[in-house]
Amino acid sequence: MPGSAHVRLENVVKRFGEVRAVAGVSLDIARRSLTTILGPSGCGKTTILRLIAGFLEADEGDILIDGASQRGLPPYLRKTSTVFQEYALFPHMSVFDNVAYGLRLRRLPRATVAEKVRHTLSLLKLDGLEGRFPRELSGGQQQRVALARSLIVEPEVLLMDEPLSNLDAKLRVSVRTEIREIQQRVGITTLYVTHDQEEALAISDTIAVMREGRVMQVGTPRDIYERPADPFVAAFVGQVNLLRARVEEDGLRIGPLRLPVPPEATPVEPGRDAILALRPEAIRIGAGPAGGDGLTGQVVSRTYLGTTVRYRIELVGQSLTVDDHDPAGKPLLHGQVVVSFDPSRIRLWPASPEMLQQMEERT
Amino acid sequence: MAKATTARAWTDALLVRRLTVDPLGLGAIILVVGLLAVFVLFPVVRVLAQPGPAEWMRLLTNPRWLRLSGNTLLIATLSTVSAVALGFLFAYATSRPDVPLRRFFKLVAILPLVSPPFMGGLAFILLFGRRGLVTYSLLGLRSDIYGWHGLWMVQTLAFFPIAYLTLAGVLRRINPTLEYAAQDLGAHGFRLFRTVTLPLATPGLVSAALLVGIYTLSDFGNPMLVGGAFKVLATETYTQVTGWGDLGMASALSAALLLPSLVLFALQRYWLEGRSYTTVTGKGSFADPLPTPGPVRWALFAGCGLVAVVLLATYAVVFVGAFAKTWGVNWRPTLENFEYTVFRGRQLWNSIRFAGIAALAGSVFAVVAAFLIHRKRFPGRVVADFAAVLPAALPGTLIGVGYILAFNTPPLTLTGTGTIIVAAMLFRTIPVGYRAAVAGLSQIAPSIEEGAADLGARPLRTLWDVTLPLIRSAFTSALVFTFIRSMNTLSAVIFLVSPGNVVASASILALAEHGDWGQASAMAASLMSAVFLVLLLFRLLTGGRMRLFEL
Repeated sequence: MPGSAHVRLENVVKRFGEVRAVAGVSLDIARRSLTTILGPSGCGKTTILRLIAGFLEADEGDILIDGASQRGLPPYLRKTSTVFQEYALFPHMSVFDNVAYGLRLRRLPRATVAEKVRHTLSLLKLDGLEGRFPRELSGGQQQRVALARSLIVEPEVLLMDEPLSNLDAKLRVSVRTEIREIQQRVGITTLYVTHDQEEALAISDTIAVMREGRVMQVGTPRDIYERPADPFVAAFVGQVNLLRARVEEDGLRIGPLRLPVPPEATPVEPGRDAILALRPEAIRIGAGPAGGDGLTGQVVSRTYLGTTVRYRIELVGQSLTVDDHDPAGKPLLHGQVVVSFDPSRIRLWPASPEMLQQMEERT
Repeated sequence: MAKATTARAWTDALLVRRLTVDPLGLGAIILVVGLLAVFVLFPVVRVLAQPGPAEWMRLLTNPRWLRLSGNTLLIATLSTVSAVALGFLFAYATSRPDVPLRRFFKLVAILPLVSPPFMGGLAFILLFGRRGLVTYSLLGLRSDIYGWHGLWMVQTLAFFPIAYLTLAGVLRRINPTLEYAAQDLGAHGFRLFRTVTLPLATPGLVSAALLVGIYTLSDFGNPMLVGGAFKVLATETYTQVTGWGDLGMASALSAALLLPSLVLFALQRYWLEGRSYTTVTGKGSFADPLPTPGPVRWALFAGCGLVAVVLLATYAVVFVGAFAKTWGVNWRPTLENFEYTVFRGRQLWNSIRFAGIAALAGSVFAVVAAFLIHRKRFPGRVVADFAAVLPAALPGTLIGVGYILAFNTPPLTLTGTGTIIVAAMLFRTIPVGYRAAVAGLSQIAPSIEEGAADLGARPLRTLWDVTLPLIRSAFTSALVFTFIRSMNTLSAVIFLVSPGNVVASASILALAEHGDWGQASAMAASLMSAVFLVLLLFRLLTGGRMRLFEL
């Protein structure tokens, strides 16, 4: 049944003393998908992984794999396998022995073990490293050995706990591509935990964004980035400008500025305060001042980044980040500028006091 | 080759020139190197040079000495194996957070380290000796149980804490995530233990065995007390000196003990280095070890509990013996035993005095030596480093005989003084403080010191402001350790005591040899209490910040 829920979390709660590390999470993980739990540190994402692996037992709720409750099952009886953040390779075993470990526990014939290890190592481009010890491998190789050790036992569900956090930035990009390729080739249901939004966007079929023990939004990478459910998700995934606005009958008011927006684009009823989110790349910028439908702002600072120029612009007392892509050959802007954007790129939520306070803290 | 030598000589000359700019540093280096040469290297050389060809031949051919060597190896091997097994039991049990009474077991396991190592021997005699509580009073046996069986048991209990300390450190540094990973792949129970935990602890086990081996090879007090006709090299060395006045043969015997000790020491220090799997892997999200399965938990508890009961019983027996009129005959409680030994004699006070001076002077010396040898460059620092760690491999009897030989004649006539006892205590324990200080120093990047110098601090000022505060913990642990070891030491000082300078440990042995069990017990109980009181005092003075023996 491709597409159906392979792993299901039903109202899972996990407390550590007074703290509710996981505060009622329900989540479906589709078969053969790569689902990412994305969130800042301390949001409970690793706890969820440990609950599924069986290293922790949920206080409330249930975890189902293939519809079967995992309650009370110890880790060694669950059909999950974990790739640990620090790899946890056995330092006293060679690469071969590390990878063969799970098979030997299952008492497979020696020849079968050797054959499967060879196959798995070549799948992960580790041929020729059988006799090495973990300390003799590079970070990326250790990572792949950890993945091989988990994959070889053919788990129903592969769990990955920030597997790239011990690699340097360049390697992270190539290894994450490899992980995605292998996951798709093997077709294994994978739950991937990370705090890196770019990583999550790059490799996931589905992303669940978590905050303070709760799932804030579940969706495809495009959903999450383009239609964030709330300002937190918008701010956590990618760069975003959050502005205070007021909804009126025929548009929005940002300070003294009026912005014509068709009423159907605003889920907030007229007369209420709202928070407006706009991605830096959705804003066009040009030399000003000018009339028309553009808004006039003032350049506060600019950072030349090669592929883009990032401007910080003051717009009626609020700060706005604008990315000008492909600046080659164009003059750098200063002083008064005109900014404009497609109203359909705006996201709008009713402003709650809590949200406004968070915005204050961000600026 | 010639080029390298020239370059070497040139840099040496340069180093020496730099040192002359800093006369205080140069003076300190000469003093430290000189003291190490005189009090560590010279006595060893004297021992090795003393025996003539005839004595070396006798050592190798005479069946009596061969049998003694065999005895020594036998008891050392047996005790080491059992002590490491017990040490592992305690280390493993106390590393599991869910084993009941683990804090109590941690305390019990370090008790023998703080008390005289021959406490067990004394208790054993009181329980199973000719007038023993069990053998004579309860069972009415008139048997002689002195021999290797008893010695084995006593040595196991006396030295398992050394294995425990080593293994506790190793087990604590094993990343718990490895056990998670094994379980995740399908391993559990004994299989997990055998395939992951045990192999990871193996370098620690070897290291612990080598360390315990050094102690059991050269221990003197317990074989003297409970060995009976079962003689070992250490006790025979003593007999040769006191009974026959044969320093040549005594030297040959202690030299025979030196060889295996040095081999164990070299293996432990150089071969095992870098073979540990317990490298720190940085942050780990899986901090807590897995829960221990119920039956295992209770088996660990029962094992440790049994040992704890036996150990505490030995202490109880000695303390009861101290208050009994005549052990095994007249059980009337009395303070007479304390009267004769502790209150009228000066032995206990001597112990405290000498050990206190040795501890203070030794810790300062250790820290200064570590600083000079590892921070200054001067020719001969490799030899100095070797001399500072060598005493850890030297049998106490060898130090005793060596000091007699080295300091019996001018220019340094020290025999018969308190100074020689203090020196023996101090230099015997130097490696502990020295290594602690070196470890502390290695955590301080030279750039920190350079930073201070850059801001205008003179060398001494840098040492005082920056380096010393950072290695203070090394200093205090050296202080405490040297004091405890010196209070309890027997094998070296037994050769060096003279009337008026007798220390408590030596007097316990003398009293026990005369069969004055009550007085021996009173002295042992007082010695142990004195150590505890000083430790307590020190803890109060340092505001409870002192950490000792992993507690």
